[in-house]
Amino acid sequence: MIATKEFDYEPGEHESEKASNSYLMSLVAIIAGLPLPIINLIATFAFYMGNKNGTYFVRWHCTQALLSQISMLFVNSYGFWWSVSIAFTAEEITNKYIAFILAAIIFNLSEFIATVYTAIQTRKGKHVTWWFYSEITNLICKANK
Amino acid sequence: MQSQQIKKPFLQSVLIVISFFLVWFLLNQISWMKLFEIKKNEIRTEDKLGKLYWKSIKSSEIEVSNKIILNSVDSIIEKICETNGLNKDKFKVHILHNSQINAFALPGGHIIIYTGLITHNDNQDAVTGVICHELAHIELNHVMKKLVKEIGLSALLSAASGSGGEVIKKGSKILSSLAFDRSLEKEADLKAIEYLRNASINPEPLANFLYLLAGEERGLLESLSWISTHPVSKERAEYIIAEINNAEEYTSAISNSTWQALKMEIQELD
Repeated sequence: MIATKEFDYEPGEHESEKASNSYLMSLVAIIAGLPLPIINLIATFAFYMGNKNGTYFVRWHCTQALLSQISMLFVNSYGFWWSVSIAFTAEEITNKYIAFILAAIIFNLSEFIATVYTAIQTRKGKHVTWWFYSEITNLICKANK
Repeated sequence: MQSQQIKKPFLQSVLIVISFFLVWFLLNQISWMKLFEIKKNEIRTEDKLGKLYWKSIKSSEIEVSNKIILNSVDSIIEKICETNGLNKDKFKVHILHNSQINAFALPGGHIIIYTGLITHNDNQDAVTGVICHELAHIELNHVMKKLVKEIGLSALLSAASGSGGEVIKKGSKILSSLAFDRSLEKEADLKAIEYLRNASINPEPLANFLYLLAGEERGLLESLSWISTHPVSKERAEYIIAEINNAEEYTSAISNSTWQALKMEIQELD
């Protein structure tokens, strides 16, 4: 699911730090944004916008970090509003709801672990690519000609 | 080359979606409701809330302790429970000395009946019908649904844990004065007819009582509190009439002499 690959060039110390920060940003935002799933996406998007004119390595990892947030946003938002409807309307807790929340926790936890690992490796200047997300990132993020 | 580049992530995205739904489906095979004892905890919370609401109502009303009155109403409930396979121990009936025509259900199986409902009704089957309607609200879990909708689950849970005096006051007011959704009312009415039929009691007096209330509704009689909690009486009377089968043979929940004694005892209270 996660692979370390050769990047087009050897990233510098400053680049590795910035690229690693994009993952850390999403982690901090996950913790801060737990009650509202949109917050981590907004924070990562803000970091992405701030670095869109950065070097290829930085841009590439900011994009991958942002994309990984988007897919979880759907799951978390659905879970969030389902929980809100249980708390404030006549909707009842069902087996399906508990199963959904547990599935969401499993996927969020996997993403959390992967993000921590990627942040550490990227800080070392390694090019960590995620299954699916790296393919999309390659389509979106192109090297400066 | 370009299409190959797009095809691969597209297939991967489909796989991710499928894997999520698969995990969800597999987790759904485990009975989490039983594992976490959710239903048991819900019942415990409902019982606690019921006690708190009843305490709050009791503090501002006079509860009837006359044995004849209590036993007569108890006989009506016993008849309904017996003929419908309902657990009578689940229901806690409280009769309040109040001239308003009102009856309502609280969480935890508490049923509040005002003496006004009995004194203003000449036909005991109408009173039985109203009681059946309240039993139906409890059996169909309408009370908790209404409270959660009006107050919110989190507020109710804090109230049940003993830290929400205001919530209890608000809840008591909601349960005694606000209406259920029209769909819930109809559901309770139809269930009440089913209870009455199983007990061989004529549902027509209940419909007549609703017609009467519909007429009085226009007169805005203050004593008719049951209208505010159970609105659109005429429409309700009509679908009850539609359900009535004239070919059936009917009886009453209690004997005529017991009914008369009940009314007399209440009049003496006044």
